[in-house]
Amino acid sequence: MGDLFTSLQMATRSMAAQQFALETTGHNIANVNTEGYSRRVTEFAAVPPTIRWDAGDGVEVKDIRSIRDGFIEQRLWRELPDQQKQAAIADSLRLVEVALGDPGSSIDGKLTEFFDSFATLADDPTSATARQQVISQGQSLGTGFGEMVNRLRVAQSDADTRVRDTVDQINALASQIAHLNRSIANAGATGIGLDALKDEQGEAVKTLAGLINVQAMQREDGGVDVTFGSGRALVIGETDFQITATQTPPLGLATLTANGFNVTSEITSGALGGLLQVRDTAIPGYLSRLDDIAYTLSTQVNSLTTAGYDFTGAAGLAFFTPLGSATGAAGALAVNATVAADPSKVVAASVASAGDNAMARQVSNLRDSKLMLGGTATLTDAWGRIVYQAGLDSQTAQNDASLRGEIVRQVQALRDSVSGVSLDEEAANMIKFQRAYEANAKYFITVNTALDTLFSLVGQ
Amino acid sequence: MRIAFQTGFRDAIADIQRTSEQMATAQRQVSTGRRLDVPSDDPSATTGAIGERATMGTIDRYVRSADSATSRLSIVDTVLSEIVSKLSAAQTAAASAIGDTASPEQRTAAVDELASIRDQLVEDLNTKVGGVFVFAGTASTTKPFTQNPNGTVNAYQGNASTVNVDIDRAKSVQATFDGQALTQGSDSTDIFTAIENLRTAILANDTPNIENGLAAMKRGFDRATGMQSQVGSGEKALDEQRSRLSTQRLGAKARLSKFEDADMSEAISAMNRAEIGYRAALGAAATIRRVSLLDYLK
Repeated sequence: MGDLFTSLQMATRSMAAQQFALETTGHNIANVNTEGYSRRVTEFAAVPPTIRWDAGDGVEVKDIRSIRDGFIEQRLWRELPDQQKQAAIADSLRLVEVALGDPGSSIDGKLTEFFDSFATLADDPTSATARQQVISQGQSLGTGFGEMVNRLRVAQSDADTRVRDTVDQINALASQIAHLNRSIANAGATGIGLDALKDEQGEAVKTLAGLINVQAMQREDGGVDVTFGSGRALVIGETDFQITATQTPPLGLATLTANGFNVTSEITSGALGGLLQVRDTAIPGYLSRLDDIAYTLSTQVNSLTTAGYDFTGAAGLAFFTPLGSATGAAGALAVNATVAADPSKVVAASVASAGDNAMARQVSNLRDSKLMLGGTATLTDAWGRIVYQAGLDSQTAQNDASLRGEIVRQVQALRDSVSGVSLDEEAANMIKFQRAYEANAKYFITVNTALDTLFSLVGQ
Repeated sequence: MRIAFQTGFRDAIADIQRTSEQMATAQRQVSTGRRLDVPSDDPSATTGAIGERATMGTIDRYVRSADSATSRLSIVDTVLSEIVSKLSAAQTAAASAIGDTASPEQRTAAVDELASIRDQLVEDLNTKVGGVFVFAGTASTTKPFTQNPNGTVNAYQGNASTVNVDIDRAKSVQATFDGQALTQGSDSTDIFTAIENLRTAILANDTPNIENGLAAMKRGFDRATGMQSQVGSGEKALDEQRSRLSTQRLGAKARLSKFEDADMSEAISAMNRAEIGYRAALGAAATIRRVSLLDYLK
């Protein structure tokens, strides 16, 4: 059995332990709004007795543990890339949707006006005004296609700019994680500040997972190795491997390389994956369909006008400047300069007779011809399909993003339920530790009083 | 489940965002009256709207063609009426000069009247509508009938082709006419030569040839009335076509409205619902953690 002085020591130690726990509670409360913070729990342990006939030497703080569930964190890292990917696609496609314009006032409206102008010419084949109108509408259609291409290209280069920004963020996070790995390895020896570093690491990996599809593997020293794509290293231990964005002709879009390998196509998820999908698949897809419309329109109109006769009775010229192939057709669609300069060269007749309107009627009736998509769609229908596709892509991405956002939120709630700070709980802890402190203090006073009693006996 | 402090706020913010987005959408629908803002609002309705607008564009074009064809045909109709009445006047004049009862003065008067009728016929047949000669076939920039100084009429300058305008898919009406079909038809000479022959015959009091001439006038008269009835049936077809087009346009417009326009009563009730949701989300957020154990610590 220990003496009174030992008891006094024990009380002091116990008060210190409770105070320590109270401090932890304070730390938790202070970090209630810190992203990625895992609540800390003070672990007490009874101090075993040093001699026989002793209950023990009170309490000591064995450890401060941060409460986290590795599986939930991993789950979050898995859900985030897809959610962020769809959100990035939805964001980028909003620009595309605006670029496509409203029904009736976009390419479809221009096509209608163009065919109308030929119909007006057919009603009045000798009218100089009608001929001039055909040229104006043809030019306006060409401009309309050109502007549409430009707007889609702007949306594409906007996505490209965001790709570069995202790569910068990824590189910054990679070097941060590598740096944290070093600090964690160093702290592992002493244990000082390890929890805070781990929280920071978790938050960094989480942010990174939202940007690019990564696999994170815990190292034995507490660090984390991060790979992306088909197992490309991003962070191994204390070394980070940067992704490089290189401007590549012809459009000047960024090609992404890691360790000298082109990894652009390997990045399929995360915000970066989404941006790359919009930039490299979605927008080029719409553009190539637009090219098809412009190319088919120009070849069909030209094949009619070259078979007809102009106002002077001369053999007809191609109305549009002939295009070599569908590639880039939408950007190049323009009225043949020779025709544009001389309205009498507009073809309305199928015989060498100024008043004939047969060719103008045929051109005007192209609007109803199913020329596109294997003979299933008119030119306007084909435009409608582009708009449909873009709308559907955007809608799907929005729906997916909100659905996956919900999943992420639930996983985060799950993480919160394990790692998050609950103020009620901390308040209860506060009372708990305060009361324990008070009780220990009371014990201290009691022992002290006992010593006083003892000393007063000695003094007699 | 342990409820952490942040969870409530994270959920509350997500809910506020979701409900305020719903409210913004509903408000936009009510204030603009449109349910389509961007294609992703309803991709298939957007495509449908594009299709219906194209259909309306096509219908409008046919309506314009029908209108211009109608005004042209009504002029042609009037001109043909005049031609018919002149040919009938020519018959009357020739008939008055037949036989011995007619005095030389009467014959001269008939011959002069025939010359005047000839000149008027030339003028009628050279009628221009909207700057084109309607009785010249497709050679509609060429005057189909020209006269010599002595009044005789040259051969037809136009051609036998005709210009048609489309008034529907695979439906068209004739907009210019073959002048020769009217003046000559299957006869060996045209009506003007017949008039000249008739004048010569009247002056010579050559009854058989006057009768031949009368018969030629009669055939010309028949051709003109025949063409007139053809024009008349064209006009009737145009009337019917216009009413059909306007019905089709109404249909397309109704379908377009279904695709594009918000159902107002539904949109307003959706807006009210969204507002209630939004208020609820705000209210719920305001009450999060309003009570806490900390309140009870003294």
